[in-house]
Amino acid sequence: MTGRARAKSRGRARGQETTAPGASLAQGEPAPPPDPGQLVGRGRQKGAPGPFSAEAVLQISAGFQQVKLGERGGRRRDFNDAGVNTRMAMEHVKESKSGTSGEAIRLSANFFRILSRPQWVLYQYHVDFNPPMEARRLRSALLFQHEETLGSARSFDGALLFLPKRLQNKETLLHSETRMGEKVQITVTLTNELPPTSPVCIQFYNIIFRRILRMLDMQQIGRNYYNPKDPLNIPQHRLTIWPGYTTTILQYESAIMLCTDVSHKVLRSETVLDFMVNLRQKTGDQRFSEICGKELIGLIVLTKYNNKTYRIDDIAWDHTPMNTFTKADKEVSFKDYYKSQYSLDIRDNNQVLLISNVKKMGSTQGPPPGPAMLIPELCFLTGLTDKMRADYTIMKDLDKHTKLEPQQRESRLNRFVASLHMNTDAQAELDKWGLSFDRELLKMTGRVLPGERIFQGSRSYDFNPMMAEWAKEMRGMPVISSPPIDKWFMFHTRRNVNEAMSLMQTLGKVSAPLGIRMQKAVMIEYDDQLESLLRALQHNVTPQTQMVVVVLASNRKDKYDSIKKYLCVDCPTPSQCVVARTLSKPQALMTIATKIALQMACKVGGELWSVEIPLKQLMIVGIDCYHDISAGRRSIGALVASLNQSMSRWYSKCVLQHKGQEIMDGLKMALCGALKDYMKFNNCLPSRIIVYRDGVGDGQLHSVVDYEVSQILDCIKSMGQDYVPKLTVVVVKKRISCRLFSLVTGKATNPPPGTVVDSVITRPEWYDFYIVSQHVRFGSVAPTHYNVVYDSSGLKPDHMQRLTYKLCHMYYNWQGIIRVPAPCQYAHKMAFLVGQSIHREPSMKLDDLLFYL
Amino acid sequence: MEPMFTPALHRQRHQFVIDFVKRKKPKKVLDLGCCECVLLKQLKFHREIELLVGLDIDGVQIKKKMHGLAPISTDYLQPSYDQLRIELYQGSVTEKDSRLRGFDLVTSIELIEHLTLADVELFSEVVFGYLTPEAVIVSTPNSDFNPFLPGLVGFRHIDHKFEWTRAEFKSWAMKVCLQYGYGVELTGVGQAPPGQQEHAGFCSQIGVFHRLGGKERYNMFDEDAEDVFSYTLLYSIIYPSLHDNNILRRVLMCEVVYWAEKLKRRWIAEETGERDDTDDLCQAEGEGGECFRASERHVDTEETQTGEQRALKAACGAEMKTLVDQEEEDGELFWRHSKPDSDKWRRRVSVPLAVLWCCCPKVSVLSGSVSNLRLLLMDEPGVNLSQDGSAMLLNHQEQDLDDDDDEEEHRADLEDSPYAEARQCPPSAEPEEDWEANV
Repeated sequence: MTGRARAKSRGRARGQETTAPGASLAQGEPAPPPDPGQLVGRGRQKGAPGPFSAEAVLQISAGFQQVKLGERGGRRRDFNDAGVNTRMAMEHVKESKSGTSGEAIRLSANFFRILSRPQWVLYQYHVDFNPPMEARRLRSALLFQHEETLGSARSFDGALLFLPKRLQNKETLLHSETRMGEKVQITVTLTNELPPTSPVCIQFYNIIFRRILRMLDMQQIGRNYYNPKDPLNIPQHRLTIWPGYTTTILQYESAIMLCTDVSHKVLRSETVLDFMVNLRQKTGDQRFSEICGKELIGLIVLTKYNNKTYRIDDIAWDHTPMNTFTKADKEVSFKDYYKSQYSLDIRDNNQVLLISNVKKMGSTQGPPPGPAMLIPELCFLTGLTDKMRADYTIMKDLDKHTKLEPQQRESRLNRFVASLHMNTDAQAELDKWGLSFDRELLKMTGRVLPGERIFQGSRSYDFNPMMAEWAKEMRGMPVISSPPIDKWFMFHTRRNVNEAMSLMQTLGKVSAPLGIRMQKAVMIEYDDQLESLLRALQHNVTPQTQMVVVVLASNRKDKYDSIKKYLCVDCPTPSQCVVARTLSKPQALMTIATKIALQMACKVGGELWSVEIPLKQLMIVGIDCYHDISAGRRSIGALVASLNQSMSRWYSKCVLQHKGQEIMDGLKMALCGALKDYMKFNNCLPSRIIVYRDGVGDGQLHSVVDYEVSQILDCIKSMGQDYVPKLTVVVVKKRISCRLFSLVTGKATNPPPGTVVDSVITRPEWYDFYIVSQHVRFGSVAPTHYNVVYDSSGLKPDHMQRLTYKLCHMYYNWQGIIRVPAPCQYAHKMAFLVGQSIHREPSMKLDDLLFYL
Repeated sequence: MEPMFTPALHRQRHQFVIDFVKRKKPKKVLDLGCCECVLLKQLKFHREIELLVGLDIDGVQIKKKMHGLAPISTDYLQPSYDQLRIELYQGSVTEKDSRLRGFDLVTSIELIEHLTLADVELFSEVVFGYLTPEAVIVSTPNSDFNPFLPGLVGFRHIDHKFEWTRAEFKSWAMKVCLQYGYGVELTGVGQAPPGQQEHAGFCSQIGVFHRLGGKERYNMFDEDAEDVFSYTLLYSIIYPSLHDNNILRRVLMCEVVYWAEKLKRRWIAEETGERDDTDDLCQAEGEGGECFRASERHVDTEETQTGEQRALKAACGAEMKTLVDQEEEDGELFWRHSKPDSDKWRRRVSVPLAVLWCCCPKVSVLSGSVSNLRLLLMDEPGVNLSQDGSAMLLNHQEQDLDDDDDEEEHRADLEDSPYAEARQCPPSAEPEEDWEANV
C-alpha cells in the first residue's frame, strides 16, 4: 500500500553501491551447495599468493550463503558482517590475539550479558503447499491453522519455518482449508537443526529483541528504535531529536551479549514541501531545481501514512499529485488515492513528486516493483544534510543535546535495561523464549599503552598523555625540516587589508622559532568577486610559486571551491585559505598564525614531527572514500602512502569512481604509483606494507575480504615476480556502537588515550581490537575498531596495536593524537576536498605534498 | 485461479464500513471480532473517530498485531488537533462490559456465523440490548449465493456454525429490531454474476441497524449503573494531539522560536546591509511580508479565502514591512538591548509578539490571540519576554564562522600565553626496540 507507481524508472542503477559482485545473498529457497567459482567475485581472483588458500576463501565466503532471517519474514543485509571468518586463515593469531604492553585498567563497556538463553536447538523446516499458494500471507494463515501442532513460538517467512521444537516426524502432513473452502495439503519437512550459537539463532534473538522494543512503544526508524514521546526540540533549526537505542545481540569473544548504545535520531519538524518552498525563496526559480536536487537526493524521508523510510533517489519534475497510476486495473490519481486510502488531503496540486527506488524484492514472479513516487507534502525529512553538518551553529546546538558525558550515558543505558525488566509484556516475551539479560554493564580489563615520545630533529619531548596533545610542548621547537618559502602570495580584499597585514607580521614572528624560513609574501588585492579573484590568481601564480594564501572576506563555499579547483587542477600550487573573521581577534592571532605556518610548511613538503617506529622498510597505506550522495552518487577513493621511515612524507592520490566500478579498481593504480614513488625515495621497494582501510560500511566487510585484498595482492605482484612483501590489511571503523568507561575513579569516566581492548567484546572469528587514541573534552569518547582481515607479516598483535596507536600521533594538522591512523585521516581529508570542492582528480604534481590539509 | 471479486471480497466489506464512517462520521467505533485488526488499521486514518475499540476472543492474535495500531513517527512529528484513543480488549461478544456502551457505531464483520445459534441470541442481547450503539453493521455469508462459489461443498469455512439465506438473515434482523428498538436496512457486497443478482443476492449480506427513538433509551441504562468489566484490556494508546496542553505548548514554542529567530536574522541582515545568499535570509527585500505569504500559499491554495481574510493578510504583510521600516528609522520596535556583561557586550534583539503573531500563520492558529500567546510564553523557561510582555528578547550573537580546517579545529586552543619552554631530551634515551627481531 505504498502508492507505488509503475512509472518508468528514472533513477540510476545502484550497481556498485552495496557490495562486491559475487557476494549475492541467498534468495528464496535454501542455499544451493556453494560453487567455488561463484564465490570469489566472478572468478576475478587469480590464485592470489598468501595464506588464503582456495579452501579458506571458500569458507570465508560460505558465510554469506547462509540463510538470513528478516524481522518481517524478508531477508536482510548482514549488517554485523557475521559471515566473515578471517581469523582462522592467520596462523599467528589462532591461539591468541592479545597484546601485552601497558598497564591494566578496569573498564566497563556498553554490553549486557545474556544470563540464560534458550537451551533449545532451533529446528528449520521447509514448508510446501499443495496446490501451491502464491500469497505469503495466505501461506502463513494456512500454516498457522495448526497451532496445536506447531506451538505459539514460531517464525515463518513463507517457505522456511523455524520452531523451537522438533516435530514428531521428519515429514509432517497438515491439512488446511482456505476461506473459500479450498483444501490445501501442507508438507512440513525438517531440513536443519541449528545449535544455539549458530548465526541463525543469534539473528533470532535479535528479532525477538526488536519485538520487545516495540512493546516499549518505541518507533523504528531505519535500524534503530526511538522514543517519540519525549522529543528534544531545536526550534531555530526546525529540528527534533528523538532519543533511542541501537541494539545488537551477537556472539562476542567470550559470550553472546547485547551491545546497546544511546542513539539520537534527528528529524525535521517540517515537510519536504515546506523545505522546498523555503528553498525556492532563497535560491530563486532559476537555480532552484539544481540546488533542490543537490540538497534532497540521498536524504531519508518518513511518510504520513506508514512507518517506512524511503531514500530520495530523484525528483520527478514533470509529475504532480494529479498524475495517475494503475491500482487494481484502474487509473487513480495520487491525490485521490491518498484521500480514499488514508483520508489525507493533498493541498498543493502543483508540487513535484519524489522518486524512491524501492530496494525490496518483489514477489518471486514478475518484475521487481518500480520506483515509489512520494508526495513532498506527505513526507518528513530525517537526518542532517552535509550543508547542515558544515554549519557550526547547528552542530553546536545539536551537541548540547546529544553529547552525553560518560556518567549520563551509563545511567541511560542502565535505565534502559531496567525498563526491560520492569515491563511485564516484555518480560513475558523474553520468558517465552527463555532469554534473560544481566542488569549491569559488563565489567572487564583493558590496557593503557605507554605514552609516545615526540621527535623533532635532534630533540624530543614527552607530553601529558591524558590530554593527548602537545601544542604547548612544541612551542619554540623547530620542526624536523621545512623547505624555505621564498616565493609566495597573499591575496586579500580591500576590506581585509588589515587582517592580511597582521597575519603576515605574525607569521613572520612565529615561523622563525618553528624553523620555518619564510620570506615576506607579495600582497595582492582582489575585488570581492569570484571572477576577479580567479583573474588575480591567473595573473600572478606561476609554476615557480611555492604557496598561495587567500584571505577570504566571508565563509562562501563557491569561492573556496573555485580557488581549490584552480590551484589543485589547473595550476597545481599549494594553497591556504583563511576567513578574515578568524584573524580579527588579536588575542588568538598568535595561535592561529602558528597553525597556519605549520600547515603551510606541510603543504610545501615540510616534516613536522615523528614518533619512533621500530620497523624498517615499511610502507603504511591509508584508504578512505567519500560518497557524494547528490551528484550522481559518484564515490571518491583516496589513497595515502608513507614514503619514508619517519612517516613524515606521504604520497597521496585521489580517484573518482566510474560507473559500475569498485573503488578499489582505481585505487589499484594509485597503489602502484605509491610503490614506484617509494622506490624513488628509498631506492628499494618496501618489504612490509600495512594497509589501513577506512570507510567500510556495515555489511561490506566481505567485499574488502573477498575482492579488495586480492586486488592489492595483484597490484603488488605487478611490481615484479620476485617481489613478495609482507602484507597486512586492517579495516578501520569509527562509527561503532561500542563505548568504554573507565572505572578508575569509582564513577564512569572516559578511558585515557591509549586504552586498548582486545578480548571479551571482540569477535571470535576476527583478529580485531579496539583503541581509544583520542581525548575528548565533552561527551563520551568513542573507541576505534581495528579488524586485521589479512596478515602475512606475522607481526605480533601487541606490535600491531602499538604501531596503530603510534600512527594516530602522525596527523600534521593537529598537534595531538587523533581517532584513526594519520594516513586514514589524510585520505579522508583529501577525499572530502575532492568530493566537496574540486570534483576532479588533482594534478599529479601535488602527489608528494599534503596539499589538502 | 481468477479471483471472483475485484477488489477482494473482504476488502469490499471493509470499504463498506469505511464509506459508512465517511458518511456518518461516528466518534466512537467498536469492531467486534477485530481479529488481526485489519479493519481498525484502516479506520485509524479517519480522524473523525475519537475512540476506536477492537474486541476479539483471541488475545494471542490481538497481541501479535496490536503494535501495528500505534501512532507512526509522523503522528508525533506533526500532531494534529484530532484526538484518537485506540483500545483493544480480549473477551466474548456474548458477555457484557459496561466500558463498551454508548458507541456511535459497532461493526461485526463475518462474526456471527462463527457463533452457535444460542450464542447469537446472547450476542443480540449484548449488542442491541446492552451496548445500545447508535448504529450496528453486521455482515455474514449469504448461503443463497453459495452455488456460485466453485467447488464449494458445505460451509465456506470449517469453523462456520451456520450460513444463513437472505430470508433467515432478514428474519433474525427483524426480530432484533422489534425486540430492541432498531431499524434495519439490508444490503451487501459481492455482486452475483450478471442476471443472477435478483435470485441470489450479494455474496456477503449486510444489515445496517439504526437505533430508533434517540435519547430516551440512552438514559435508561444509566439506571442499571452497575459496572461490569468482563473484558481484559490488552492495549491502549492515545495519539498525540494538540488538545493535549503539553503538546500544544511544545509545538507552539517550536514555531515561535523558529519564526522569532528567522525575523531576527532578517532584521540583522537588513541592519548590517550584508546580503549573503548562502544564509537563510530572505532576498525579497522589496516586500516585507512576501516570504511569509509565500510560505503560507501552499497551505492555503485550496481553501477559498474571503476577500476580507485576504485583505487582513495583506495588511499584516504591509504592517510587517512598516514595522521593520520604522525600526530602521527610529529603532523603536526592533531594538538592541545592550548591557555590559562581564567584559563582553551582550546585545539583544526584541521581536514584538504582534509581528510574530501575524507573520506566522501557524503561531496565530495555535495561540488564538496575541494575548493568549503572551500568556503561553510567559511560563516558558526558554523564552525571555520584555518587561511589558509585548515582545520576545533574543540574544544577538554573531555566528562564529570557521575556516577550512578539520573538526579538530573546534578544539584549537585560543590562549595567548608565552611560549613554554619545551623539555628537551636527547634522542634515544631509552633503548630502541626492534620489532623485526620478534617476527
